[in-house]
Amino acid sequence: MDGTIVAIWMLRLLFLAGLYAFLWAVVRVLLRDLRAAALEPGAELGRLLVLESPGGEPEVGAGFSLDAVTTLGRDVNATILLDDEFVSTMHAALTYRGRVWYLEDLGSTNGSFVNGSPVEGTAPLAFGDELQFGNVRLRLERPRR
Amino acid sequence: MTGSQPTGVPRGAGLRLPRPRFRPRELGLLAIVATVLAVGSASLAATRALRGEADPAASAGFLADGSGLLSFIGGLLAAHVLLVLSGRRTDQVLLPTVGMLGGISLLLMERLPQSLAGGLGLGRTQLVWLLASVALVGVIGAVVRSDAWLRLYKYSWAAVGVGILLVTFVFGHDVNGQRLTLSVGPVSGQPSELIKILLVVFLAGYLSENRPLLIEESSRVGPLRLPPIPYLAPMIAMWAIALSIVVVQKDLGAALLFFAVFLLLLYIATARVSFVVIGIMALLLGGAFLYQLLPHVRVRVDIWLDPFATASGNGYQVVQALHAFARGGLLGTGLGGGLPTIGGVLPIPALHTDFPFAALGEELGLVGILGILGLYLVVIERGLRIAASAADDFRAILAAGLSLVIGVQAFIIAAGNLKLIPLTGITLPFISYGGSSLLASGVIVGLLIALSDRGRDLPAVAESGPGRVQRMPEHGAR
Repeated sequence: MDGTIVAIWMLRLLFLAGLYAFLWAVVRVLLRDLRAAALEPGAELGRLLVLESPGGEPEVGAGFSLDAVTTLGRDVNATILLDDEFVSTMHAALTYRGRVWYLEDLGSTNGSFVNGSPVEGTAPLAFGDELQFGNVRLRLERPRR
Repeated sequence: MTGSQPTGVPRGAGLRLPRPRFRPRELGLLAIVATVLAVGSASLAATRALRGEADPAASAGFLADGSGLLSFIGGLLAAHVLLVLSGRRTDQVLLPTVGMLGGISLLLMERLPQSLAGGLGLGRTQLVWLLASVALVGVIGAVVRSDAWLRLYKYSWAAVGVGILLVTFVFGHDVNGQRLTLSVGPVSGQPSELIKILLVVFLAGYLSENRPLLIEESSRVGPLRLPPIPYLAPMIAMWAIALSIVVVQKDLGAALLFFAVFLLLLYIATARVSFVVIGIMALLLGGAFLYQLLPHVRVRVDIWLDPFATASGNGYQVVQALHAFARGGLLGTGLGGGLPTIGGVLPIPALHTDFPFAALGEELGLVGILGILGLYLVVIERGLRIAASAADDFRAILAAGLSLVIGVQAFIIAAGNLKLIPLTGITLPFISYGGSSLLASGVIVGLLIALSDRGRDLPAVAESGPGRVQRMPEHGAR
């Protein structure tokens, strides 16, 4: 009889220990995942993904890591060079202030568009928004972590 | 150029089978789950043998051969294989965690009186729902690739949710004084389980669309910064819906859950503490008002303040739950060692739906329930992690919201069982008995796994569609 009780106690403790062993294994996976994420260069504030670019510069599918101030245009001094005949030399600027991205049109000839609506002056952006300058379409994405 | 795709044709539209991608971590964790559950099953069987339980007839054979547990583990493996075949780089932790919770639920339901559920008996009915739930996790995690169908129709989803709510108001029937259950022919279910998913989808769509405006502009009232007035309307509507659920359905749990998830998502989207403070104040104000107005709210709060005043009346459930926790102590009485029945009825009324946490506290003790709470924390961590690495706001808020639904729901019912907050009758995700709850939780975890995909081309935002139309801008004269 005593043997049974000891066995049952063992089983009970084993079950609880197993529960925590599982949690331990999970936490190890989670920690590895978090460490890997922490090692990645995480300074970027957002990304621009090229959806459409008839001129071939930038390439479709390319992703740009964004600084707090990013200029776009045909000018070689622009942070991101857009080689498209409908894009002005200094077309637009993306700025990051107070955890929000803003798009500012720098007086371009053909205008800047967010999700199909033209931007006058400065407009706040959400991650996932689609931007269009001339024939170039880009999507603002959250920084990769 | 080479990379360009014809728009309008979804990528991979052809029936190309993806290359399987093995998931060693998931398999390893599932192996631990299977081992632990086998030990639990043996512990349960041994305890029952010792107690010489002539046994709730049906379950004896069911348990002895362990077929229930085996088929559950088989279901988990099937879901694992499905995810491997889908070839996606998705989360490998959620399925085992859910499997552990479901397995514990199975062990608990097998030891309760089987007559609580007609037909197959409690344990087997729960097994069927658990298998269905795990199947949903696997299928949704493997198949759902685009979120456009959720994103584009957010107002339609919200309308469906409100519609279901109204239908339940009108046609639902009352169970235990709460109007929660809706029957269509032979099928009955609790629609609020579905509504909570629709709510998160709508909030993710709404908040991601208006996030910049919500952060940027604000109207000041004294020291408080309120959201801009036009954007307040949906929030006030949200508050009103939560309160009306309390009034009409008498469902405090769902109201609390909806409102808490709403506030959390609002905070996640805007990082404004003031919104949360205002929300909590509005909730307390509404709560105080309803306390004066509605007797069923008053009863709940009075029980919470002093259950022992009515220990054999209204407070019976809560008092019995506290006794169960006390009996459990640090290590518990062991699976199957809890108080089975008092005079043929459950020691705690509605134990299998509303008080599984108390039953687990009795059998596994403080150590055991802390472990179980840890499992829910893992779900939340994964959800927030998936949110942090999401490519856009919609996916981020959706992932955070889905995992918080599970986490907040577990917290509300666990805290209610422990008399930390007034008791509200909602289910403990993946553990409580009940089909609607298990299926809804399965959908949530399946979506989380689908959202965790980190493949290159997969987070495809709707490239064309009614919600986010992009037109070619009209070019200037030259």
